[in-house]
Amino acid sequence: MLELKDLKLSYGSTQVLNGVNLSVKRGDVVSIIGPSGTGKTTLLKCINYLVKPASGTIAFDQIRMDYQRADKAAIQAIRLRTAMVFQQFNVFKNMTVLQNVMDPLVVVQRKSTDEAREIALRELERVGLSAKRDSYPSQLSGGQLQRTGIARALAVRPDVMLFDEPTSSLDPELVGEVLKVIKDVTSSGITSLLVTHEMQFAKNISNRIVFMDRGVVAADGSPAEIFDAPSNPRLAQFLQSELAFQ
Amino acid sequence: MDVSAMIPELFSALPLTLAITFTAMFVGFCLALVATTLRVRRIPVVSHLTDLYVSYARSVPVVLQLFVAFYGLPLLVALLGAEDFFSPTIAAMVGLSFYHGGYLSEVMRPAYLAVDRGQHDAADSLGYTFRQKIARIVGPQAVHFALPGYGNSIIYLIHNVALVMYIGAADVMATAHLIMERDYNQYQFETYLVLAVIYALMCLIAWFIVHFFELRSPMQAPEATTTAQIKNAAIASV
Repeated sequence: MLELKDLKLSYGSTQVLNGVNLSVKRGDVVSIIGPSGTGKTTLLKCINYLVKPASGTIAFDQIRMDYQRADKAAIQAIRLRTAMVFQQFNVFKNMTVLQNVMDPLVVVQRKSTDEAREIALRELERVGLSAKRDSYPSQLSGGQLQRTGIARALAVRPDVMLFDEPTSSLDPELVGEVLKVIKDVTSSGITSLLVTHEMQFAKNISNRIVFMDRGVVAADGSPAEIFDAPSNPRLAQFLQSELAFQ
Repeated sequence: MDVSAMIPELFSALPLTLAITFTAMFVGFCLALVATTLRVRRIPVVSHLTDLYVSYARSVPVVLQLFVAFYGLPLLVALLGAEDFFSPTIAAMVGLSFYHGGYLSEVMRPAYLAVDRGQHDAADSLGYTFRQKIARIVGPQAVHFALPGYGNSIIYLIHNVALVMYIGAADVMATAHLIMERDYNQYQFETYLVLAVIYALMCLIAWFIVHFFELRSPMQAPEATTTAQIKNAAIASV
């Protein structure tokens, strides 16, 4: 369904992505783990072209693009079929919760206001935010903001959900409510890529784990293969240090 | 002549003063919008020329900019063969529009840049076009950041309109001087006082209008948490 080949990107002299290859099948829930600064978030942002790789190709079903010859139509087609949940929530600050979820449907997908409203209310119900639909982002907690972000992403009916460290900016007591919603989303069968540091959670919800290290995919396998019998010494070291704190 | 007779005479110059102000406000706003767009998008050469314009508008004293417009404009209109078009009022409008546009561009540009990068990312990732993103998300948020600075720049503009008398435009300030000279400078204090009240009122009205929009901004929504709760708890405990 989604295939990334030989993605390379550097910020100045720092090589962030060093030839990443990744393929995702429909219905996969893939968690991407790895030390900070290894390009997990960058990789996710390359998929919807928020970050422009120096080279590499992407194939998304029939859409194919070489990043060196970026094509606006292909970028837009990919963006319309993916939806991203951000580490910093990125909920539109000038709109209420309901408007946040409705606006992409009306503006981008050209749905009628009534239809958009109906979809938005259903998604807000799903993430447990119906009561907050008329609140502005400045009036919400971090967990509520992230659930708004998830509802907005779900409402556009994406083929792939991209979660970029969705709980990393939250207070510990708010992490649970967001993880519960993500678990509900991923168990509904939607293809998902999740960058996370919540190891136990990744293990529970994913059918595949990708370990990134120094800009490449260093290990790729089922949760059991990755967590219970890590073959890569860097992975074993990483898991040891991560799990020591959990 | 007493003060009560002088006031209507001063007020008779108010329409021209307001015409200069509103023209500079409108044209300056359009110039600032274009200048900000060019400066933010960093187009080679064009952006540098725009930087130069903004630097001119912000660093050259306004009275000097008015002289440049007053003596430079006739050369330009002669080139275009439209000499009849020129008047001190037109020179005042052009000079102040350029000044206000450059100054306002330095209010708009930081406001645009103050919108969190994540807001752009979220809109891009959802497939908004550049225009949709600016119209729906980045624009309204930038307006919120720009409003206080915009209010200030309008007040500076109103103050600077008083300088147009130096190039012979007949605004309230020039009219006040005419009245005083005609009356052998007998009522200078009273005339300046009335003038001060007129300017203060114009600035106050401008400030009220801008402040009204500031309060109406959706990003101004009161935070539901701590501050209000602490206040309520404090009131309840008394």
